[in-house]
Amino acid sequence: MARVTNWQIGRTMSYWYAENRPKRQFGAVFDINKCIACQTCTLACKTTWTSGRGQEYMLWNNVETKPYGSYPLAWDLELLKQLGPQTWEGGIYRGRTVFESAPPGERVLGWMPQSIDYAYPNVGEDETLGKVEKGAAMSLPQQIWMFYLARICNHCTYPACLASCPRTSIYKREEDGIVVLDQERCRGYQECVRACPYKKVYFNPSTGTSEKCIGCFPKIEQGIQPQCFVNCIGKIRLQGWVSPPAQAREDNPVDYLVHVRKLALPLYPQFGLEPNVYYVPPINVPPAFLTQMFGPGAAAAIETYRNARNDRTLAGLFALFGSTERTIPFFRIQGDYAIALDDDRREFARVPIYEPVHIRPAEDRLYQIMRSNTT
Amino acid sequence: MRHLIAILIAAPCLLTAACSRGPTVNTLEVRAVRGAAELPALDPQSSKWDRVPQHPARLMVQDVTEPRLTVPGVDLVNVRAMHDGTNVVFRLEWADATSDLIPDVGRGSDAAAIQLPLQPGADVPDAAMGQAGKGVQIAYWKSVWQDDADRAGSGKDRVTALHPNATIDHYPPQAGGAAREEMERRYAPANAAGNPILTARNGAVQEIVAEGFGSATPTAVQKATGRGVWANGKWLATIARPLNEGAGSANLQPGQRTYIAFAVWDGAQRHTGARKMRSGWIPLVLE
Repeated sequence: MARVTNWQIGRTMSYWYAENRPKRQFGAVFDINKCIACQTCTLACKTTWTSGRGQEYMLWNNVETKPYGSYPLAWDLELLKQLGPQTWEGGIYRGRTVFESAPPGERVLGWMPQSIDYAYPNVGEDETLGKVEKGAAMSLPQQIWMFYLARICNHCTYPACLASCPRTSIYKREEDGIVVLDQERCRGYQECVRACPYKKVYFNPSTGTSEKCIGCFPKIEQGIQPQCFVNCIGKIRLQGWVSPPAQAREDNPVDYLVHVRKLALPLYPQFGLEPNVYYVPPINVPPAFLTQMFGPGAAAAIETYRNARNDRTLAGLFALFGSTERTIPFFRIQGDYAIALDDDRREFARVPIYEPVHIRPAEDRLYQIMRSNTT
Repeated sequence: MRHLIAILIAAPCLLTAACSRGPTVNTLEVRAVRGAAELPALDPQSSKWDRVPQHPARLMVQDVTEPRLTVPGVDLVNVRAMHDGTNVVFRLEWADATSDLIPDVGRGSDAAAIQLPLQPGADVPDAAMGQAGKGVQIAYWKSVWQDDADRAGSGKDRVTALHPNATIDHYPPQAGGAAREEMERRYAPANAAGNPILTARNGAVQEIVAEGFGSATPTAVQKATGRGVWANGKWLATIARPLNEGAGSANLQPGQRTYIAFAVWDGAQRHTGARKMRSGWIPLVLE
């Protein structure tokens, strides 16, 4: 075991290998508030990568409804239960990560699902926390809550799958930090399936090997965002590069949201993997639940998000989500526009910070009728 | 006269041992007897095995490297061996309440293996998969490979065998007409990459060399064969190979004393890879 720095938990921690960050790290921001669980991302991924035999219930990208949805079944609850109650002190995690709490004989604290656990990818879909008082569904603030959690492989800085593989069949690409599983070397031991807390490595019974999200690296290599990003009709996703905090740049969109504004948060940072998909937390959810899921920064992130529309940089940056197929390494706000810039700071996409708003009165005087917004 | 008396005394004992008290047991070593023609290489239930001495090989949990096996599985494998001067066959017998063939999530494939030092001699490699510069050769019998071969005629793939009631309307990669095979191969990336774990060239046994944990590599030459039969809560499996497999292999010869080790995986207990029951080195004598 080596000692490595995990900025997401504010301290060093134990990991199977020494710290070795890639030249640049695949990073993404998902704005949960905009997700409608249409599953277009899920299908975009599935039709591209996992339509074969043995991949019937394999969804590298999935969208589940929280609090009751999960794929595979109870993936997060199983581990939270094993990990037990843990504490944060300010921004520092005082509990134990999955590496630090590995039982004797194991490299990682994990659990092994059964094939039936993958058979209900939409369990709990659209279910709210509880029942609503009669009539209260139409009132604000909302008394109950639910939200959609879109998930892909987090291409972690400290992947548990990689640490657990006794054959070193999993590696992290030096050029982009994408975590891939060597399909020629894997012998199907399933240690990675057991170890990944996000359960984003899958066993293929047809080939007898494990498979996982490849971050659409053939697209990344051409400067294009992955399938699940470019097909997102809600425009909730942005793919770029995330730096460690000391190298964070204000003109890097992922850095800006993650480090500068602390608006996008990692999923279950307490597991200790330094995951690199960051979520803008849902504003209608109680802070206690969000703190457990996204760490202690959740409440502050919601406050920032509530004011995002009045913040020209944030509003502009969110307008860039889904505006281009290309990876957005840099951006700038200029006048009324948000501009996407490539590695050489050349503009390749531009969107208005605010779309023009047209208000149509309820009454159409010309035709003397009341307008209706139902069709 | 003294010889005759010895024979007269020994013969009924041997007979009794063979008929009512099971085989002769040799706890010291695995003795490969020189068998008649037609070694039962693919017949673990052959009556030819009845006359071969048996070595009860004690198995221990693999606790040398992570992931270790913390809950013990089967702790005994009974080994018999026969050779004919050209080929050698080992028959392994171990208790297993269930037959687990096709691996799935959280479910392994019953398997067993024999291991020989690549270089003969008393200076043996680490019994746990060998070590750098001192390799081992393993012949690995895995029930899923055998089951694949057995199912081949029926056209049933692993998925339909695992989930016989599942309905799958369509695999898009199969809709490619002439390009169908190529597409199906591409959508099974391990297959497209030529991963040797998919199948054993000779049906059920794969030959592997290793120089320590995590280094197992199938060899270019694959000559081992074997067959397992599960019945009444136990597996009987043969692993057969030529005594001499050529350069880069653990080669054996009649009259030789060397070492052998065994390992058993129980699919129902999720044994895979390093999570296994294994033995240390046991003397192997070829008559």
